[in-house]
Amino acid sequence: SRVEQERRLRNTATLYVGNLSFFTTEEQLYELFGRAGDVKRIVMGLDKFKKTPCGFCFVEYYTREDSEMCMRYVNGTRLDDRIIRTDWDAGFIEGRQYGRG
Amino acid sequence: KRRRNDAVEIEDRLESLIIRVGEKSTSSLESNLEGLASVLEADINNYKTKILKILSDCAVKMPEKTTIYTTLVGLLNAKNYNFGGEFVDLMARKLKEALKACFWKTARYVLRFFADLVNCHVISTNSLLQLLHTFLDTARDDNSPQVRSDTYIYAVLSCLPWVGRELYEKKEQDLERLLKHIEIYVRKRGRKHVPGLRVWRSDRPHPQEEYLDCLWSQIGKLRSDMWQEKHIARPYVAFDSILCEALQHNIPPLTLPPHHQDNTYPFPWVVFRLFDYTDCPEGPVLPGAHSIERYLIEEHLHNIIKEYHLERKQCAACLLDFPLKLKIPLEYMIVEVVLAELFHLPGPRYIEICYGSLLIELCKLQPATMPQVLAQAVELLYDRIDTMNVCCFDRFVNWFGYHLSNFQFKWSWDDWLEASQLDSTHPRAKFVIEVLQRAMRLSYRQRIAEVVPEQFDCFVPNKPEPIYKFSADTSGDMPGYDTAQHLEQIIRAKATYSDVIEALGEMPNPLRENDESDPPYNPLQIQVFVQTLLHLGSKSFSHGFAGISKFLKVFEAIVGSSEEAQILVLKEMHDVWHHHQQMMVILTEKFLRTQIVRCASVATWVFSKEMMPEFTKNYIWEIIHATIRKMNKHVAKLQREVNDARERRTGNDSDESSSDEEEQRPRPSEEEIERMEEKLETAQADQKNLFLIIFQRFIMILSEHLVRCDTDGRDFNTHWYRWTVGRLNQIFMMHNTQVERYSQTLSTLLFTQDLDPHILDAFNQFIALRS
Repeated sequence: SRVEQERRLRNTATLYVGNLSFFTTEEQLYELFGRAGDVKRIVMGLDKFKKTPCGFCFVEYYTREDSEMCMRYVNGTRLDDRIIRTDWDAGFIEGRQYGRG
Repeated sequence: KRRRNDAVEIEDRLESLIIRVGEKSTSSLESNLEGLASVLEADINNYKTKILKILSDCAVKMPEKTTIYTTLVGLLNAKNYNFGGEFVDLMARKLKEALKACFWKTARYVLRFFADLVNCHVISTNSLLQLLHTFLDTARDDNSPQVRSDTYIYAVLSCLPWVGRELYEKKEQDLERLLKHIEIYVRKRGRKHVPGLRVWRSDRPHPQEEYLDCLWSQIGKLRSDMWQEKHIARPYVAFDSILCEALQHNIPPLTLPPHHQDNTYPFPWVVFRLFDYTDCPEGPVLPGAHSIERYLIEEHLHNIIKEYHLERKQCAACLLDFPLKLKIPLEYMIVEVVLAELFHLPGPRYIEICYGSLLIELCKLQPATMPQVLAQAVELLYDRIDTMNVCCFDRFVNWFGYHLSNFQFKWSWDDWLEASQLDSTHPRAKFVIEVLQRAMRLSYRQRIAEVVPEQFDCFVPNKPEPIYKFSADTSGDMPGYDTAQHLEQIIRAKATYSDVIEALGEMPNPLRENDESDPPYNPLQIQVFVQTLLHLGSKSFSHGFAGISKFLKVFEAIVGSSEEAQILVLKEMHDVWHHHQQMMVILTEKFLRTQIVRCASVATWVFSKEMMPEFTKNYIWEIIHATIRKMNKHVAKLQREVNDARERRTGNDSDESSSDEEEQRPRPSEEEIERMEEKLETAQADQKNLFLIIFQRFIMILSEHLVRCDTDGRDFNTHWYRWTVGRLNQIFMMHNTQVERYSQTLSTLLFTQDLDPHILDAFNQFIALRS
């Protein structure tokens, strides 16, 4: 439901990251996002058919506070010359890493 | 009900009027203040409590508007003497509470407000002098730490720019007496803490002054200028004829709360100086290091950062919109203040990336000037890097690599070519090496290799590729080769952990000397397993993590709790990945989280002989600090749990304020609490042990170095020595809250008086932070 979804977004420590270059690697993401706090995991968004990175990922922090730091200081800065966008995400579920082909 | 709503509405309107007075407006500040005073006067009878509260909050929360609010209070006092008296009493209570609660900044701003109220004829000069002397009396208290009296004296000094002139005109003798007292104090106070807090060891080109010494010099300069300063806007001057008619109040006499061992005082600091007026030849002149304007502007800029640090765009906009922007070289002052916060010791106020992203915003918002000033700052920092504190060196490297990644790695690298001729442990060479490492992590190797001049080829990081000992093209007669090949095959074919154990079980143990002895672990097994697993998971972090998680039980079986076995895991990891520093950092963290290795093993490994060639590289210290931090977090978590459980056990159920979101948790039993406490004690013992290991190793390698240099008749003060001492200092600084708990043990076990004074210094500087 919508209320449930909003509650999740308020408490989540997971971010959806968009506008990445297709060539940006998990290593680079760890380096940048690790500067805002302890990263629990990163799930790369993959092309449904080719299984190659396709410009987005999920970054999960251990704490909400660290993900807030990321929203404040990483959102809107550059990685691989592209301005990356971060947004709250209700939480990664298996299968969501596949974008449109 | 209607009337109550109206009242709330009026209160809100008053609040908004008071908070916003002094903001940009079409009419003059003076007429706004006059108008507001009339509005408030009319409402004082009905809304007195509310007005008092808003005014007293504004007084401490908006220190940059002190003179605006003192003028307002002055005008109100002139109209309504009783109201003025109640305000003074309220502020006195605020001061007392702040001192009791160790809210030192609030206390300082109340004192400053009182000082400025003297200018507005609300408070009598004598009663302010009395209060200042009460503060100075802390200097005579021998049973409290110096940080306490420092804090009080700092509050006194920092209010003098506001009231100095008034005191000079009305009570010159008393002012001189006050200053004499301060001078005696400033002269005799200890300065052991200073070396540990300096960004640079050297005083060239700019002296690195301790904050109280610096403010004392600035006040001295102000005094020789007949207390004339040019920074503070003083709206009350326009109302002199009204204000001088008013009657004055006395501040109620105050007894300071005595020192208590649980009190926390601000750490002392050293004022960061990067620029002087010769660095900004065009435009307005930069106020000198000892001019009071420098102090006042810097304080104001720091306050803007504090106010807006959560909103970097707004923060950048407010900094660039500084009220006096046309009279000062603003970009230089902003850069100096932001870098001062980034390099602050023992640690910056906010996380490092806060400053990094703020500097990016500043460059975006003022592209014509900001990038150049920042580049000039980097040049100066690089020029002075030889004597830079290691904590600051790391932050400089990390920030600069990040900054470049936001600006396409464009930099005048050619200016630094001389670095390629230097020894690789020389701070300048090291700076370039480490910046390129960071830059590569945020980009990729080829790109970095292309942006730097070819003279820097020697500095470009290796290709971050794994080195697999048992790869197909190596010699087949290496011990373990066949097992490794087999292991690779079965893991690719989705082997289970028992398949892996079985495959490893056939290997001979080189530690076995005869049939009777049973070695605690098999080094060959660990080598083959770790090498193969990391090789197979080398495609990305996720692949590596997945392999480790899948075969956790294999680690449990073949590594176990043996420290040597754990160190071997780290050693094999290093052998495979030593061209990929970030991978080693991440994998070590993974090994710690999955409890394959313990924190103490990581520390022992870092100080091992094999790791000595890596010892001065930044990533090693990234690993060490992450390891300590992990331990600290673990202890803090257990501590919280114990506190929470105790509270739930003793606390009464009537506390319903937090129960609507949280589920009703059962009261823990006495036994449960005891078990938790035991866990906490174990963790604290581990934490203490970790620090003991680290400090003991430092003492060993440093003593060895000093003794060897002494017998060989060489100078001990080498690059290696300075890096190592710097790293020792860094442990004390970065983890000072945790180390502090064990300082007694450290001083009796390790940092004893017979130790070489060069090593003992680091410990003494750390102790001096709180003494």
